[in-house]
Amino acid sequence: MAETPTTQQMLDQEMIARIGRRDQSAFSAIYDRLSGPLYSLAMKMLGDPAEAQDALQDVFLQIWSRAGSYDPDQSSVFSWTVLLTRSRVIDRLRARGRRSRVVVASTEETPTAAADASTVESAADTAEKNDEAARVRYVLTNLPSEQREAIEMAFFEHLSHHEIAARLGQPLGTVKARIRRGLLKLRQRLSTL
Amino acid sequence: MISEEQQDQAALYALGLLDSDEDAAFESELRANAELRDLVRELREAAGDLALTAPSLLPPASLKERVMGEIAMETTRVVPMATRRAPFSWVPWAIAAALAVFCGLLALDRVRLERQLSDIRAADPLMQTTFYTLAPSAPAPADAKATVAWQPGRQTGVIRISNLPAPQPGKDYQLWAVDAEHKDPISAGVVRVDKSGVAQVRFKPVEKAEHVKAFAISLEREGGVPKKKGPILLVGTA
Repeated sequence: MAETPTTQQMLDQEMIARIGRRDQSAFSAIYDRLSGPLYSLAMKMLGDPAEAQDALQDVFLQIWSRAGSYDPDQSSVFSWTVLLTRSRVIDRLRARGRRSRVVVASTEETPTAAADASTVESAADTAEKNDEAARVRYVLTNLPSEQREAIEMAFFEHLSHHEIAARLGQPLGTVKARIRRGLLKLRQRLSTL
Repeated sequence: MISEEQQDQAALYALGLLDSDEDAAFESELRANAELRDLVRELREAAGDLALTAPSLLPPASLKERVMGEIAMETTRVVPMATRRAPFSWVPWAIAAALAVFCGLLALDRVRLERQLSDIRAADPLMQTTFYTLAPSAPAPADAKATVAWQPGRQTGVIRISNLPAPQPGKDYQLWAVDAEHKDPISAGVVRVDKSGVAQVRFKPVEKAEHVKAFAISLEREGGVPKKKGPILLVGTA
């Protein structure tokens, strides 16, 4: 997610290794770096600040307890924590027997902090995150609309491919192909842009 | 060479959309196919990046305090053993045997954790934290409980309360440090639980408490009192 992904990913891995050794200062640093994007994701899927905060607390406690088993060969730290967050959010949605209330909002950057928020980010950090987010948004919005739609329904609403097919009135194979093509294009374009 | 069908499955796997049977089958395929593993990693990264398209928000600073407080307590808390729910009822002997094993493991675990705690405390004075487990006394609910992590060197602590219903209007719960060198308990402030009966707050007693024997929670008038008057609901020693 950083402008120099390899360097940032190495830094993240070092932080996770230190957290695995029970280093609370490393945990504090990774919290400062990742809590914004992960909270934003939880909010988009849950649409409720209290629930999103509870989910985020669960995620960071999992990061603390599972850091020792993190495998850099399987995913970057950022992707690992995103998957943990989705998983926690989906558990909450299932427990309440309802689907994600995706917050339909502008795709423009709308940084908002709660009244007592005091997470400190340097201007450079913020700019870097905004650049990266803008890059991903650009690539996503330039995917064929049917592929973008299928991916967003799968990722943010956690609809299964069967449910997406039913909602769109499309054959299952078509939906699978849209998700596959869209995700492959997304990765390819992000790596070359 | 990865087939189109494998690519489909890889994309669904990366998004967590496969059901448990499909998931297990695909993971078995992954173990045998390095090229497929690389593809899954790539697709996972793409999926992870999707999170960045959510409108940008920051959580409140109080959440970080909650999380840091929780891991400070987790550092030395006994980790509960995983339990598996039996599909059928247990026969009494099986229960007795399981309990005996459980108690034995718990005792071993306690010895091991106490040794680790002792090593940690010796290695780092900042980690000199004492834990107090507070048990309910009438009229508190039988399942109410609290844990206090107390750092005498810093004269600060964190208390976590659970299963304690909010008091009636006009009342508050107040935390007290029972110190060997003070005649009366020392107030450590009012503690407010949320709707689910949970609270986690940092506290600092109003006077220096260097030889705390116990912590207690009492029910007092709203806003708290300088000297304990109301009934004790939770109390415990280290």
